[in-house]
Amino acid sequence: MRIPTLVATALFTFIAISAANAHAFLDHAEPRVGSTTSTAPKEVVLFFSQNLEAAFSTVQVSDASGARVDQGKPKVSATTMRVGLKPLPPGTYRVRWQVLSTDTHTTEGNFTFQVGP
Amino acid sequence: MSRHLLHTLALAGFTAVAFTSDAFAHCFVGARFLPATLATDDPCVADEMSLPTVAWSKTADVPPASQLDLSFDFSKRITENFGVTISQGWTSLRQADGTLTQGFGNFETTFQYQILKDREHELAILSGLIVDWGHTGSTGSGFATDFSLVTPTLYFGKGFGDLPSSFGGFRAFAVTGQVGYQIPTSSFDFTQNAFIPQQLVYGASLQYSMPYLKSEIIDLGLPDFINHLIPIIEVSLTTPVSNNFGNPYTTTGTVNPGVIWVGSYFQVGLEAMVPINRQSGTGVGVIGQLHLYLDDMFPSTIGQPLFGGTSSTRKLTF
Repeated sequence: MRIPTLVATALFTFIAISAANAHAFLDHAEPRVGSTTSTAPKEVVLFFSQNLEAAFSTVQVSDASGARVDQGKPKVSATTMRVGLKPLPPGTYRVRWQVLSTDTHTTEGNFTFQVGP
Repeated sequence: MSRHLLHTLALAGFTAVAFTSDAFAHCFVGARFLPATLATDDPCVADEMSLPTVAWSKTADVPPASQLDLSFDFSKRITENFGVTISQGWTSLRQADGTLTQGFGNFETTFQYQILKDREHELAILSGLIVDWGHTGSTGSGFATDFSLVTPTLYFGKGFGDLPSSFGGFRAFAVTGQVGYQIPTSSFDFTQNAFIPQQLVYGASLQYSMPYLKSEIIDLGLPDFINHLIPIIEVSLTTPVSNNFGNPYTTTGTVNPGVIWVGSYFQVGLEAMVPINRQSGTGVGVIGQLHLYLDDMFPSTIGQPLFGGTSSTRKLTF
């Protein structure tokens, strides 16, 4: 392998795998995005792709009428954010989140899940 | 670019894919991410770099020549909403009789200003001025001109995530587009003995975001690789509109179906290029691009605007 080839390989691989941070995106959630559960969950847990800044990351859960059903301030640990829920009757619930990754990029999103009868 | 280097880029790309985490980056409007498109431009100012973009096609000549285009562009935000892009391309043209012509196109700069980002409606609007600087490329080879081209351009992007939930997976669709009016600084080309037309330069993309489907609509438990894909179809067209005496006002361009893989710090795009008519080319070409998100790779240095850095923490809005 020639020297320019080695340099290019090293550069691109380094760029791709060693950069410290990026935008934090929702990797998956519990309950799962768009899912229907037969039993009411006691909390919503969001798993992100990057570490979060706790002071600037939040999540809210509301019912079909827009009323809050979460128990307030979420707990943030590394890439995970969780918030407790009040007892949920059957219905559709919307989760809205906004997070700041440790490199100060903000991302946001929302999704629904259903609790079946 | 040598075959060795292309080989290397592909190898590095695959190595990187294997080791990077699951994140996405770059032109964000609310929950929507609009990737950098290959044949048109996305509707955001950004710190980014395309290195390289490689295209291969056959010209409309009879018999057709084989054309290879290599290009690079580098975009830098000057302020939060104002950015500049510099671009340079190199072309190799092999005629059917084996004659080879190679050279650089004119140096290009694009000045862009972000007019609107409506997070709730996933709508972005961007204005731009593209300047193709005359006599900065290989004019002798025919790939560059002695005159400049100035193209005021309007760009837009719209995601459909604001539709009611009943639209289901349709909400993962988004469209982007651009319309520009290209004005040459000279009206007559004495070397070609032809008028130089003013042209409408326009294009659009329709894209379906698997990342958006997974994180906003429904997590189907698909393989991770699939969840990073954005299938896309682009259209890129040019229509002469004035000062085209003696020539047909024929629209030329390509329709490009393809796919973009979106990672944490870069994306890789691959599209076919299908000419819309005989005047636009012969057969199906191909275009590929490695695109780097500089604001994610270097968030505290070159990934920042030169003035009024964006890294101050944003107030939570709900």
